[in-house]
Amino acid sequence: MTWPAIRTILDGAVVTAALAAVSIVFSLPLGLLLALLRAGRIPVVTGLLAAFVSLVRATPFVTLVLFVFFILPAAGLELEPVPAAIVALTLNTAAFSSEIWRSALLTFPRDQLEAATAFGMSKRATFIRIVFPQIWRANLGPLVSEVTILLKCTPAVAVIGVVEITRAAGRVGAETYEPLPPFLVATLIYTALIATLVRGQRVVERRIARRFGLVRP
Amino acid sequence: MAETDAAISVRGLCKDFDGFEVLRDIDLDLAPGTTTCILGPSGSGKSTFLRCLNWLEQPSAGSIRIDGKPIGRSGDGRAAKPMARRELAATRTSIAMVFQHFALWPHLTVLGNVTEAPVQVLGRPKREAEEEGRAILARVGLTEKADVYPHTLSGGQKQRVAISRALAMRPKVILFDEPTSALDPEMVGEVLCVIRELAREGLTMVVVTHEMSFAREVADTIVFMDGGRIREVAAPTDFFTNPQSDRARRFIFRN
Repeated sequence: MTWPAIRTILDGAVVTAALAAVSIVFSLPLGLLLALLRAGRIPVVTGLLAAFVSLVRATPFVTLVLFVFFILPAAGLELEPVPAAIVALTLNTAAFSSEIWRSALLTFPRDQLEAATAFGMSKRATFIRIVFPQIWRANLGPLVSEVTILLKCTPAVAVIGVVEITRAAGRVGAETYEPLPPFLVATLIYTALIATLVRGQRVVERRIARRFGLVRP
Repeated sequence: MAETDAAISVRGLCKDFDGFEVLRDIDLDLAPGTTTCILGPSGSGKSTFLRCLNWLEQPSAGSIRIDGKPIGRSGDGRAAKPMARRELAATRTSIAMVFQHFALWPHLTVLGNVTEAPVQVLGRPKREAEEEGRAILARVGLTEKADVYPHTLSGGQKQRVAISRALAMRPKVILFDEPTSALDPEMVGEVLCVIRELAREGLTMVVVTHEMSFAREVADTIVFMDGGRIREVAAPTDFFTNPQSDRARRFIFRN
């Protein structure tokens, strides 16, 4: 493979990594917000959010991307391909991660919450000081797993013209009539990205275990 | 005792869970600086009553005053309105609680557990709270455990941390909900020892317990409950030697 060909794929890698990074930053907090709003049992809102989460979870990701890019303009919301890709990735991961957050909230030990209430802590302080520090640590595994799925969803945004790793590799393969080398490179890059994530997870988990022992709220 | 002089004053307290009556028409006044032990068979409503005192359970009817201030509902009788959440939280800061299963926060150190509410809720400076926290931990014999996490402690040590957490609030009243029921027999003694010490210092405490000899020795007042009602309120010597009701007699005899 020539250097320009490799450059093309690396440019795609930058796009993939950037899409994933931005989507992670938006989607995990959004997922938590969805879970909190649903736990709040606000009459109409809770039902709407549950329906939204079910809908996004049931929609194939490519379909969701196409929906955001082609259908939303009909509602007056026109997005460039990259922002559209970020919106689709964010919605998807927010919906899935909200289920992780939700089950964490539902199974959080009641006695700890009662202790916080009995000592005069507000709901907000209880969440910030008691609940959140425990649930993110306890659910690091499932959350990182969700993030790797996000990363592996990124090739789907090629359908709206975003050139990420897989699309770039495809282009190189089409030009050289040798698809194997570029896709090998692409695979290596995906593996490296995901290995980095999982490695990060292990490091953090080990630190948590050293400090708190087995944290199982 | 006048209603306003009591540390805890309860009038006409009722509680039902989905139509099932758990507490019926309870009146009780507890003097400041006294230790009250609530005894009674399982299911008699002791714990529910205790949890009503800081409004962890919402009574169906009746009123509760802690140190003269109403909790849960402000105003009296017909005019009573549910308290705003913030006002309720502020009222709760004068009533600390020790739970059967400790309910420590596992992600905070022992000292962190003790200083959390004083700093976050009462707004005390962190350093001051930590100094006081260490002093309290020293009192319960846990000086060297201040910086470890709760999972490394034994049950008895955990409960002593929970008691320290309660003391750190400088509460008017401390409620103990079966503080030794989840402990190995060997560890019951160390926890009772701490509570006994606090009783001697004149804290106002309400202890739901099954430890009869402890109640007899430490309590100023015994409250005997059965079937969601208070059957007897008496000094320990009177209660244990000359119980007034048949039910209490059988209860003491069996234990």
